[in-house]
Amino acid sequence: MSNLIEELKNSSQLKNLFFRLLVVLIICIALSFLTEAFFTTNNLLNVLRQASLLFLLASGLTLVVLTAGIDLSVGANLGMSACLAALVMTNTGSTLLGFMAGIGCGTLIGFGNGLLVTALRLPSFIATYGMLWILHGITYYFMGGTTLGGFDKSFRFIGTGYLYGIPVPIYIMTIFIIAGSIFTKYSIYGQQVYAVGANPVSARLSGVPVNRRLMLVYVLSGLTAGLASLVFLARLNSAEGDIGETLTLPAIAAVLIGGTSLFGGVGSILGTLIGALILTLVLNGMNILTINGNYQALVTGVIIILSVFLDLFFRKKSNT
Amino acid sequence: MTQPILELRSISKFFPGIKALDQVSFDVFSGEVHMLLGENGAGKSTLMKVLCGAYQADAGEIYYQGQPVKITNPSDARALGIAVIFQEFSLVPYLNIAQNIFLGREYSGKIPGTIDHARMHAEARHWLDVLSLNIDTHTLVHTLGVAQQQMVEIAKALSQNAKILVMDEPTAALSDRETSLLFEMIRKLQSEGVAIVYISHRMAEVFSMGDRITVLRDGKQVGSADPKTTTPDELVQMMVGRRVDMAYARKFTSKPGQVALKITNLCSDNGITDISIEVREGEIVGLAGLVGAGRTEVARAVFGVDKVTSGTVEIFGKNRTGEPFNSVKMGLALIPESRKIEGLALIRSVEENIILSGLSKIFPSTWIQVKKAQQISQDLISRLRIATPSGKRAAMLLSGGNQQKIVIGKWLTTDSKIYIFDEPTRGIDIGAKAEIFALIYKLVEEGAAVLMISSELSEIVNVCDKAYVMREGRISGILEKSELTEENVLTLGMTNA
Amino acid sequence: MRDLTLPQNSTVANLMQRIPGVAIMLIICILGFALLSPDFLSMRNIANVGVQSAILLMISLPMTLVIMTEGIDMSIGAVLTFCGVVAAYVLGQTHNLPIAIVIAVGVGLVIGLMNGAIIVYANMPPFVVTLGTLGICQSLALILTDGQSLTDVGDSIGLAYNGHLLGIPLPIYFALISYLVSYVLLYHTRFGTYVCAIGGNRDALKLAGVRVNLHHVAVYAFSGVMAGVASILLTARMSAGHPTAAIGMEFDAIAAVIVGGTSFEKGNGWLFGTFLGVLTVGVLRNGLNLVGVQSSVQVASIGLLVLVALLLDSLKSKA
Repeated sequence: MSNLIEELKNSSQLKNLFFRLLVVLIICIALSFLTEAFFTTNNLLNVLRQASLLFLLASGLTLVVLTAGIDLSVGANLGMSACLAALVMTNTGSTLLGFMAGIGCGTLIGFGNGLLVTALRLPSFIATYGMLWILHGITYYFMGGTTLGGFDKSFRFIGTGYLYGIPVPIYIMTIFIIAGSIFTKYSIYGQQVYAVGANPVSARLSGVPVNRRLMLVYVLSGLTAGLASLVFLARLNSAEGDIGETLTLPAIAAVLIGGTSLFGGVGSILGTLIGALILTLVLNGMNILTINGNYQALVTGVIIILSVFLDLFFRKKSNT
Repeated sequence: MTQPILELRSISKFFPGIKALDQVSFDVFSGEVHMLLGENGAGKSTLMKVLCGAYQADAGEIYYQGQPVKITNPSDARALGIAVIFQEFSLVPYLNIAQNIFLGREYSGKIPGTIDHARMHAEARHWLDVLSLNIDTHTLVHTLGVAQQQMVEIAKALSQNAKILVMDEPTAALSDRETSLLFEMIRKLQSEGVAIVYISHRMAEVFSMGDRITVLRDGKQVGSADPKTTTPDELVQMMVGRRVDMAYARKFTSKPGQVALKITNLCSDNGITDISIEVREGEIVGLAGLVGAGRTEVARAVFGVDKVTSGTVEIFGKNRTGEPFNSVKMGLALIPESRKIEGLALIRSVEENIILSGLSKIFPSTWIQVKKAQQISQDLISRLRIATPSGKRAAMLLSGGNQQKIVIGKWLTTDSKIYIFDEPTRGIDIGAKAEIFALIYKLVEEGAAVLMISSELSEIVNVCDKAYVMREGRISGILEKSELTEENVLTLGMTNA
Repeated sequence: MRDLTLPQNSTVANLMQRIPGVAIMLIICILGFALLSPDFLSMRNIANVGVQSAILLMISLPMTLVIMTEGIDMSIGAVLTFCGVVAAYVLGQTHNLPIAIVIAVGVGLVIGLMNGAIIVYANMPPFVVTLGTLGICQSLALILTDGQSLTDVGDSIGLAYNGHLLGIPLPIYFALISYLVSYVLLYHTRFGTYVCAIGGNRDALKLAGVRVNLHHVAVYAFSGVMAGVASILLTARMSAGHPTAAIGMEFDAIAAVIVGGTSFEKGNGWLFGTFLGVLTVGVLRNGLNLVGVQSSVQVASIGLLVLVALLLDSLKSKA
């Protein structure tokens, strides 16, 4: 126990996470006071379920941001992977093939992003931005304006099902958070990713295969988007050409709120989870308080700018 | 005798944790060429930046023609007629020559708000002609060669009616012919009364062009000299330090084994040509030469940081190719020149930094056992006596010596057999220096092969089994132990005086 | 900067190197579509392309300057949309066109200044700041219109889009004037020189004693103002203010600028190239339309176009 306290005192990262958990608590308390509709089992489960979905999408993205990059295509990736999975399931009736399609598509897109960044040496925001539009285009094309839906119950289970009274997405989220944390803290690749983000020059000189790790994070970002698309699809039970369009901004916000710095080398998957929680709580609160839904993008945008600003501010403080 | 046109008295400039300039006094007379010498990190560029108004001095006074003045921004400096030409030119690549010359001082055209291109180009043409530079003023600067770009910078300074011209290593990228043209122009400026502050390492030009010489070291002004009476030997000693306390002298007990590192006719696009070096196990081989000779470039090419254009690098007979991570796998280790930029991830902790290179060797299954990792890191920290209250402290908060220990410690878990040290004791206090040398000796005694780049002559002479001396990108000579004296190193390292 | 109207220093240079890649792509597109569709080269269609490209040109020009400073404005599509909505709203309330114009442009200016101030003074990465602004403006547009189109705009504004002067559609004049203004700004004022310097060597500019920050902010302000002006044309085109009218147009603008030869580093920009790039994107969209390809695929093709342009560029520089 004393070891934990020692670590807490010395680790600024743990302090940051703790502070953010506090924010979650404060928001919950505030919302409970403002409206009775907040603190119901139904609503809380709802929040958790939505946050877990957002977290799934943002988990791989966290790794990209850790290398001081960005993946603007995650929302479009989710959209295309979901539509592809829907198409496959509708045409073949096989849930398994649908799964493979969704995950495979997401991973391939991640690989494409990785190529643009490592081989063509494009700045990540341009590469993934271009990819975003290309994906949209392709998705709209093969969806042709139609809606696909009505999937197998076994498939929908992962989005709408319950296990011991808790929605399945929350279990999936738990698996992800454990897997993600293990990856970043306990695998060599994770530590090397942090090193690349903190100082790519010294990482290279220390024997870290920088390009390979960069490719890895973009592939993983695509992979988690593909996985998230399946859960999303299961929940919605329908797919149209434009799904995922509005998810990129919240995903980035979740990562940034969670304490992962755009400048690389600092952050955590757990932080992204808390960030997703905070954002979902804020948006959920806005919903219950019947604030115009159109304000959501605005709030997300402001939060993004604020997060980066605060990150810069505290970085400057600790440097002097 | 008249008074100096510009005088700096007791100028100090501090940055967090460093005294970049410590009560430096410096002056220059009209029509004089005042040479400024010093190693990397001595404070020369900080001094230049204070002169041109990019930095403001924290203490001290500046006098212009005897009157006290303040230089708080570049405009102030310009108003006094101070023009500085940095080594990395202040040119905008996609603007043309005239635009670069008049950057910030463009002439206004007849319609308010517009630029009078014709006038700018006409004047630019005039200055280029003065410098005998036969290039269209509409040429975009990025298409020019280095020498020509330098001329543009000089034209810029001239067009500002510079009375004091500061030049940083102006001949570094010039051919012999271009250099003589430059010198001609400098003599011309001298005759017109321009005061010139000239930073250089090339002994030949220091002695042929200089009227006075001042040496900086570690932010302090070490002394002045008269080129007519001093010697290169004396100057280098001033730049590099007095004979150091040999409390860390080496007892040559290790016996050299087989050839570990064999470099043959190595060429790289970073400027080195035809480098051949051999380092055996149990040996410390020195790589000497003046700053700019290309020693760091050799290290980079050998390690795989810069591309090799021809020649080979063999590690125990096996060819080394590709990225640095290949080199590491083959047993090569590099402790780079600038620990903050190339050696460490400053925002990461001591533990995280010190274990980075060894991760794949220590945990071949790719899963890190945290306890074991911590133990190894802690072990290293105490073995190397790295002073830090906790291993979880960010590396940026440690002192230079301790940071350097982290950089070295990084490699102790990688089974490295060949170590390349680039200026391992630069900017480190005496105590830490001794510890670092003890460390290097231990490595060598255990059979490692060490290639050590150092600018400190006493280090090269007292620590190395043999030394290669570089000059202008090539090896100018090899000195075996019996021939290894400071004088020989200096002679081989200098351009023909 | 590359202004081909001023004499270039040319020794014997490779012909391929001298002809800009974008010109080649434009010609290929024109030839391709001329073959694929009989209507393509008709007077009517050409006029169509011109008019439709006008708005894109008006936002691509400032985008060129922004990219030359090594920045980017992801929000310009959203700002354009929002200003259009504001214009429609004001028209609906006051039925006064001049006031609507002033307010729309003013809103654009304010947003541009905000972008610039945060990027320059808070030292934040441009893509993140403008991404945030994108979200904010998107929201504001939806809030102001409650998700609907604002159609009460009166009759006078439609003239801006549909009117003719000397047989040439008015939007072409708008585009021409915008180009002239941008041209003069970039090549004949200090501001333009400094734009190139901010991207090329910001420190050199500082050392030259210039107030860099002010000029840097001004670039983003220019972007906002042009979005405001273009929004009038946009609202005129649809005779309404629609909250998602130009969402995503920033992509076309960025594509046009990149295809036109402006690069993300060192202040290497070419205004005429952007013009050609806008034409290429316009021709591509128009051509694909005629052939029956839907909008979303058009976007994917533009993305591919950009990739081709970038590849051509890297091949050229290696040659």
